[in-house]
Amino acid sequence: MKLSVFGYELVIPTDIIAAWVSVILIGIVAGYIIIKKRKLGVVWDYMKTTNHRKIGILYLLFGIIYFFRAGVDALLIRTQLAVPNNDFWVFQGEKYNELFTTHGTLMIFFVAMPLLLGLMNIAVPLQIGAKDLAFPFLNSLGFWLFFAGSLFFNIAFFLNLTPEVGWTGYAPLSRAEFTPGAGTEFYVFGLQISGLGTIFTALNLIVTIIRHRAPGMSYTRMPLFAWASLITSFLILIAFTVLAIALYLLMFDRLFGTGFFSGDEGDPVFWQHLFWIFGHPEVYILALPAFGIFSDIISTFSKKRIFGYGTMVASIVLIGFLGFMVWVHHMFTVGLGPVVNTFFAITTMAIAIPTGIKVFNWLFTMRGGVIHFTTPMLFALGFIPSFVIGGVTGVMLSLSAADFQFHDTHFVVAHFHYVIIASTILGVFAGLYYWYPKITGYMLDEKLGKWHFWTFLIGYHITFFPMHITGLEGMPRRVYTYSEADGIFILNAISTVGAFLMGISMLFVIWNVYKTHKKKKKVSGDPWDGRTLEWTVSSPAPEHTFEPMPVIHSMDAYWYAKVKNKPLPATTNVRVKPLERDSIQPFCIAMSLFIVSTGLTFRWYWLAILGGVMLFALLILRSITDEREDFYGKSDDHA
Amino acid sequence: MERVMIMRKQEAELFQDKKVGFFIYLGVEAVMFAVLFATYMIFTPAGSGPYPSDVFQAEMVLLSSLFLLSSSVTLYVAEKGIQARKGKKTLLSLGLTLGLAIVFLGLESYEFYTFVQEGYGLSTSVFLSSFYVLVGLHAAHVTFGIGWMIVLFIHYVRPNVSYSLYKEKQTIFSYYWHFVDCIWVFIILIVYLPYLV
Repeated sequence: MKLSVFGYELVIPTDIIAAWVSVILIGIVAGYIIIKKRKLGVVWDYMKTTNHRKIGILYLLFGIIYFFRAGVDALLIRTQLAVPNNDFWVFQGEKYNELFTTHGTLMIFFVAMPLLLGLMNIAVPLQIGAKDLAFPFLNSLGFWLFFAGSLFFNIAFFLNLTPEVGWTGYAPLSRAEFTPGAGTEFYVFGLQISGLGTIFTALNLIVTIIRHRAPGMSYTRMPLFAWASLITSFLILIAFTVLAIALYLLMFDRLFGTGFFSGDEGDPVFWQHLFWIFGHPEVYILALPAFGIFSDIISTFSKKRIFGYGTMVASIVLIGFLGFMVWVHHMFTVGLGPVVNTFFAITTMAIAIPTGIKVFNWLFTMRGGVIHFTTPMLFALGFIPSFVIGGVTGVMLSLSAADFQFHDTHFVVAHFHYVIIASTILGVFAGLYYWYPKITGYMLDEKLGKWHFWTFLIGYHITFFPMHITGLEGMPRRVYTYSEADGIFILNAISTVGAFLMGISMLFVIWNVYKTHKKKKKVSGDPWDGRTLEWTVSSPAPEHTFEPMPVIHSMDAYWYAKVKNKPLPATTNVRVKPLERDSIQPFCIAMSLFIVSTGLTFRWYWLAILGGVMLFALLILRSITDEREDFYGKSDDHA
Repeated sequence: MERVMIMRKQEAELFQDKKVGFFIYLGVEAVMFAVLFATYMIFTPAGSGPYPSDVFQAEMVLLSSLFLLSSSVTLYVAEKGIQARKGKKTLLSLGLTLGLAIVFLGLESYEFYTFVQEGYGLSTSVFLSSFYVLVGLHAAHVTFGIGWMIVLFIHYVRPNVSYSLYKEKQTIFSYYWHFVDCIWVFIILIVYLPYLV
C-alpha cells in the first residue's frame, strides 16, 4: 500500500497495516476493560510485584500472548504452502523469510522459555517448601528483562524491520553486508536482553533449590519437576551465556566493523559452533522441565509413586550432560570430516538411552496404577507416543551419512516439531491444567480441556506427520513454494488442514479460561488429590506460604500423610525467608536496557548513552534502597 | 542477647544465599570469558594484518599488571581490616585499591590509545578484534568495579547501613574484584605472553 505523508511516498505492506490496526483495536479494548473495571491498580501491583506466583503469572500471560502471535505466523506459513505456486497475500520471498524467522524466534525464546519459567516460578518453591525464590528482586528483574527483550523483538514487525535471518541467525547472512538495515539488530538485542533475564532467573532457581528446601526435603525426596528445574537451570547458565557472547560478537560485526563471522578474515562456521553450543542444550532446556511435569502428573494420576526415581534423576543429569556434547549434529553437512561427524553421531545416539529409560519408567509408573484420565493426564499420555516418534526420527537424523539426505528438508521440520511440541507444548498445557487451581484458585473445565487435548493432538499429527514424507521427497525448509511437478501437493494440503485444526483447538482454551473465570467456582487446596507439597497450601497459593513449615520424612510425604490420615508434622523453627519489598525498579532497569538497545540499533548513540546513564543511576538507586537495610537495622549491637 | 543470636543466624543464612548466588554468577562470567578466550585463540594470529608481537609492548603489560595485581593485595588488607573492625585500615586500603584500579584503567586506556594511533584499531584485523572484545570487556569490568568501590564508600558513611551489612557488601565486592584480577592473569598468560617471549 502506498501512502503519501507530508509529501513523502511511503510504501507500507498490508500485513503491517493489518498488524497495526489489530494491535490498536486490542489495545483499546484491553484499555477500556482495565479502566472500566478499575483494574489499573492491579496492573500497577503486578508491575511492582516480587512474589513468585505473580511473576509466574506474568511469564505465563506473555508466553501465551506470544504463542498466539507465533501461531498466527505458523498459519500464514501453512496457508502459503497449502497449494503449489501459491501467491498468498504478501508472503513470498523476503516476507516469507521474515515469517519463519519470527515464528521460530518467538516460539523458542518468547513462548517456550517464559511458559516453562512461569511454571517453574509458580510450582518449584511450592513443591520444595520454599517461601519464595531466594532473590525476589532479581526474580522480578529477570521477568522484566525477558519482557523488554520480547517487546523489542516484537516491535520490529510494526516498523517493517523484521529480521529475516532465520531463528538461527546464520552468518554471514546475519552480517551487515548481506542484511543491512536494522532488522537483524532487533534479533541481536531482543535475544540479548531476554537471555540476560533468563540467566538471572536460572541462577535464582538454583539458589532456591539448593538453599530453601523444607526441613527433611533432601535431594532424594524432591519432586522430579524440581529436579528437572535444577538441572535445566544449570544448562541455562552455560548455554545462554555462550549465546550472549555469540550475540556480543555478532553485534561487533554488525555495528563496529569487526570480521569474526565474515568469509574472508573470520569464520562463518564459528557462529554455527557458538550458536549450536547454545542451541542444542536449549532443546533440553525446553524438554527437561516438561519431563519433570509429566513425571509428577503421571505419578499423581496413577496414584502411584514414580517408578525408578533414582534412575529418573540420573537420566535427567545424564541427558543434561550429554546435551553439551552433540551440537555438531546440526552441522554434519558443514564438512568437518568423518571423524568429527562420527563422534557426534555416537554421542547423539547415546542420548536415546537415558531418554528411553525415562519413557519406560513412565510406562511402569502407570502399570498397575489406578489411572485417572483427567486433562493433564491425557496430555501426558499423548506426549509419550508422540515424543517417541520424534525420538525415532532423531536417531535417524543422527546417522551422519543419512543426514546429508535429510538436512534442511521438511523431514527435519517434522522431527523438531514432533519433539518440541510433544515435550514442551504438551507439557506446558498439562502443567497449566494441573496447576491452574494453584495459580488462580479456579479449576479449568475438564470437558473443554478434553476437547482442547483431542483437537490439538490430532491437528498436531495431521500437520507434522506428512512433513516426514515431503521431506524425504526433497522438499526444502525455508522455501516459500513448490511446483505441482514435485508431487507433494496433497501432503502439504493435509498439513495445512492440520495446522488450522491446531489453531481451532486453541479457541477451546480461550473459551475455557473465559468460562472458568465467569463461573468463579473456588476449589480446595488439593483438587487433584495430589502427592507433593504445593497441594498443602490453599488455592490460589497465598503470598505467605508454609506457616508453619511442614517437615518431610519421605518422598511424596503429603500423599502418605493422607493415606495414614495424619497431618504432616510441622515446625516453626525455620530459616529466615527471602526478604521482599515491592519495587518498580526492576521494570525501570529493564526499560533502560530497552533504550540502550534502541539507541544502538538505529545508531543514535546519544540515546544509547542516555540509557546507559539511566541504567547505572538505577543500579546505584537499587544499592541504596536495599531492603536488607531495614532488616539488618541501623545499630551495630549485633555485629 | 537471644535476639542478637537469632539476628546473627538469620543474617548468616541470607548472606550464605547471596554468596552461593554470587559464586554462580561468577561461574557465568567465567563461561563468558572462556568463550572469548577461545575466540582469541582461534583467530590469533590472523591470516592477514599485524602479527601480535609487533603490536604488544611488554613494558606496558608489566606495568599495568603490577598495579592491578597489587590491588588484590590491598583489597585483602581491607578484608582483614573489616574483620577486625579497624575502620581506618579498611578505608585506607580500600582507597588504595581504588587508586590502583584507576591507574590500571588509565594505563590500559593509554595502551589502547597508542595501538589505535599506530593503526591497530578494532577492525584492523580479526586478531585485533578478538583482542579488543576480550581485553575491553575486562576493562569494562574494572570500570564497573571502580564504580562499585565508590558506592561502597558511600555505604560506609550512610547511617542506614549497619556494620554487618557493610561487611557483607564489601565481602561480595572482594569476590568480584579477585575474580577480575584472576581473569587478568589469564589474559597475561593467553593473550600477551605467547607473543612476548
